[in-house]
Amino acid sequence: MRVYFHNIWISLATAFEGMSITFSHLFRKPYTVQYPDRIAVRVQDTLPYRYRGILEVDLEICTGCLACERACPIDCIRIDAKKDMQTKEMLLNRFDIDMAKCMYCGLCSEPCPTGSIHHTREFEGSDYSLESLVKRFVKVPVPAYKPKKSGEDDPAILPILERGMRYIDEFADPDDGSGA
Amino acid sequence: MQEYLTTLLGGAEGLALEVGYLLGMLAFGAIVVFGFILPVAGITSWLERRVWARMQSRIGPNRVGPFGFLQWLADGLKNLLKEDVIPTAVDPRLFRIAPYVVVVGFVAAFVAVPFGANLIIADLNIGILYVTAATSLVVVGILIAGWSSNNKWSMLGGIRSATQIVSYEIPAGLGIFPVVLLSGTLSMQGIIEAQGWQPWNWHMFHSPFALAAFLLFFVSALAEGNRTPFDLPEAESELVAGFATEYSGMRMLLFFLAEWGNLYLIGALMATLYMGGWQVPPFTENAVLLGVAQFLSIFLKSCFWVFVAMWIRATLPRVRVDQLMTLCWKYLVPIGLVCVLGTAVTMVVAPEGILGLRFAMFGLVVLVIANFFRRVVFHLRRAKGMGWTIAG
Amino acid sequence: MSVEIEVEGQGLATEEMTLNMGPQHPSTHGVLRFIVKADGEVMRTAIPDIGYLHRSIEKIAEKVGWHGFMPYTDRVDYVAAMTANQGWGMASEKLAGIEVPKRGEYCRTIAGELGRICSHLLAIGATGMDIGAITPFTHALREREMINDLIEELCGARLTYNYMRIGGVAWDLPPGYQEKVLEYLDHLEPTIHEINDLLSYNKIYVERLANVAVVSPAMAKNFNLVGPNLRASGVKYDLRKDQPYSVYDEFEFDVPIGEGEMGQVGDCWDRYMMRIKEVFESIKILRQALRQIPDGPVIAKVPRNLKPPAGDVHVRVEGARGDMSWYVASDGTEFPYRVHIRTGSWTAMSIIQELSRGLMIADLVAVIATFDIVAPEVDR
Repeated sequence: MRVYFHNIWISLATAFEGMSITFSHLFRKPYTVQYPDRIAVRVQDTLPYRYRGILEVDLEICTGCLACERACPIDCIRIDAKKDMQTKEMLLNRFDIDMAKCMYCGLCSEPCPTGSIHHTREFEGSDYSLESLVKRFVKVPVPAYKPKKSGEDDPAILPILERGMRYIDEFADPDDGSGA
Repeated sequence: MQEYLTTLLGGAEGLALEVGYLLGMLAFGAIVVFGFILPVAGITSWLERRVWARMQSRIGPNRVGPFGFLQWLADGLKNLLKEDVIPTAVDPRLFRIAPYVVVVGFVAAFVAVPFGANLIIADLNIGILYVTAATSLVVVGILIAGWSSNNKWSMLGGIRSATQIVSYEIPAGLGIFPVVLLSGTLSMQGIIEAQGWQPWNWHMFHSPFALAAFLLFFVSALAEGNRTPFDLPEAESELVAGFATEYSGMRMLLFFLAEWGNLYLIGALMATLYMGGWQVPPFTENAVLLGVAQFLSIFLKSCFWVFVAMWIRATLPRVRVDQLMTLCWKYLVPIGLVCVLGTAVTMVVAPEGILGLRFAMFGLVVLVIANFFRRVVFHLRRAKGMGWTIAG
Repeated sequence: MSVEIEVEGQGLATEEMTLNMGPQHPSTHGVLRFIVKADGEVMRTAIPDIGYLHRSIEKIAEKVGWHGFMPYTDRVDYVAAMTANQGWGMASEKLAGIEVPKRGEYCRTIAGELGRICSHLLAIGATGMDIGAITPFTHALREREMINDLIEELCGARLTYNYMRIGGVAWDLPPGYQEKVLEYLDHLEPTIHEINDLLSYNKIYVERLANVAVVSPAMAKNFNLVGPNLRASGVKYDLRKDQPYSVYDEFEFDVPIGEGEMGQVGDCWDRYMMRIKEVFESIKILRQALRQIPDGPVIAKVPRNLKPPAGDVHVRVEGARGDMSWYVASDGTEFPYRVHIRTGSWTAMSIIQELSRGLMIADLVAVIATFDIVAPEVDR
């Protein structure tokens, strides 16, 4: 008999307690982020510095070392780098990344010596066909970047290289510059 | 209503009067169904989603119209335009009929639901009995849906629904009995007239037994309306979508329309039976103004219970089938019998009612509510310590 | 499997009903399938049918090399990927004889415990959801999102972390990270208490879970249950305590066991409560780790072209779903010769058929939820 009334009491009491919690939530601010339109700042800009979004390559500082291609566990990076017989320069004929295959693991950007291949904070990559997800960075064959011993002085390349080196530095301040 | 129509029709006599009266009833019924029940059911769906969302620290639908208010219209339109898929393996005739049976069941119940002193489609002298009977028609529809879908999950849902609604008719009836005893009539208007506008004159506070019967009726009504914690027929984590698994488009919507409409029905019954219905303080002689006040009185009381049902749904888990039966037969039915007997005894001992007891019961409920807000403030304080932003 | 059907009298013939629960069923947590033989609502048996989420992860390891397999380990148990990362890292390190720097081990512990809380929160919320309470689920997921934000800051991803590397971790803690996590933990504790008040002690919830699908300690050992499921049956066994790996021996924490507060030891409620208790233990570990973390490098020097000497190792990690065993064999080349992973969900899956006899269909849902079965971990 005591169990019987205890059951009734405990059911009412616990339901009462639970309902007071849910009621108190009516007075708390919702946690929803109304992506994509009703937000103060773009989500991309609120992401941390290390965020692994869609891959981007700065061909100006790509040395054509193929480290990223070798590191990629699913072979979604294709690079054709040939030595030009006349000028003795490395020529990049092709640098494709298949973003449909990419699993955003970040293994490719780690071995990159200049920070050329890097993750952006962009994540909106939906498209109508798989074909258009293959990012072809090389439009016309370009010479690969050669690090200079005396330090970089070309004003066209210097800011890009600085960005790349900052990307490699894991303690870089996220608010410094335009971000990766 | 009847007097209104008689004066409206003036000198018409005999058959003409009867036909006119019938037509008038039909017109009022149509207004109630299309102008009140359907919008109320739709708005309930919107409100339910908003209330849930806020309780779950979300926002809920807020894109269609201000605060997403027109979401229910958009959803209704969308479902109307959707393909009416009828799987090949189903029993097509029964499959098509089932949603209509459900809708007819709940719409028919509104015939005897009062909206004001003069606003009622038909003040049947067995009103409350009629409502209970009409809502039972819903179970037939659900059972048909479950069976004809030719899907085992649907069938389980249908059978669960049948067992549940049939069993809970008894505690629901026992929850109604004390009121019938107290007012000495089955008519809805009669029940309301037997109560006063002051809260302590409501049937709810007549005696501890009436208060218990009131809770009992609410719990059984939730079970009859397939609401959490008794939403077993459509328990989505167990039975996919229960009896509605194979339905799509408007037919599926009709089931949910009935569910949300039922919610208002539960509220209206709670208000009518225990909370003084449309009773308002006699503040004016103006019939129109009084009518509006009466309508608002019963409408707001009903809406309060609609809100409570949503709130319960956002809070409580679902019971199991055997626990459902245990709760019904071991707890609700004995308590219901005690309530009926207790009310009867109280009436014999004090035919006029004990005013002190009424105030004591009223005070008890006020205390419970005060304690409730104390707990809410406690949780809000704790939340503030957790770094929550407290907003209105 | 045939079950005798009793036909009572001459009149009504009853028939056993075969229900197909899954692979698309709302409460199978991924793509599980159960063939349920039921007599009305009461189950005769529920036979698990696995393999719907098999992705040959073990075979992939043989083709992608030692470093390249790390992102795949995220996919073994995508709810708590950190411990899988750690398992693969530890196995490879043991094979190649690599010493992980102290700070690296601490980073691993911090990340792993955050991942464990993440996974347990999902388990807590999903159990509530399966029992029919929808609000605790969103509350738990809200907390999980907050932890995901922290992890995102640490390693740049929210689900497939790929944070650890052979020889340590990929990135050091970002500046100010310790304070941030400590601040968050102060928020998490009362939140768990709130979920307790809202859900765990609710009478309906207790009725649904207590005394359902009781697993005795002997049965738990026989079926090789691991992790929280084993401890809920009253067996005090935690790899972090009993075979300390990484730096777990440097922390003070308890190993909670099921106490049968609401029913018998080892029932569904105990298994559910186990997760909540473990969240508190993880919070304890995190607090200590964040305060004690030493300075130094986070990753050892590991050759990019790693070729561990031939041999095989067996490494065990206490994952969120229990003992995750890694057997890795190397033949001295740059590709592993064989990798085998044994996971907690797998063993939990095997006990369901035994437990299902005489339960109701609604209980099966509770059993799946409280064993915290994650389909990809079963099939890999």
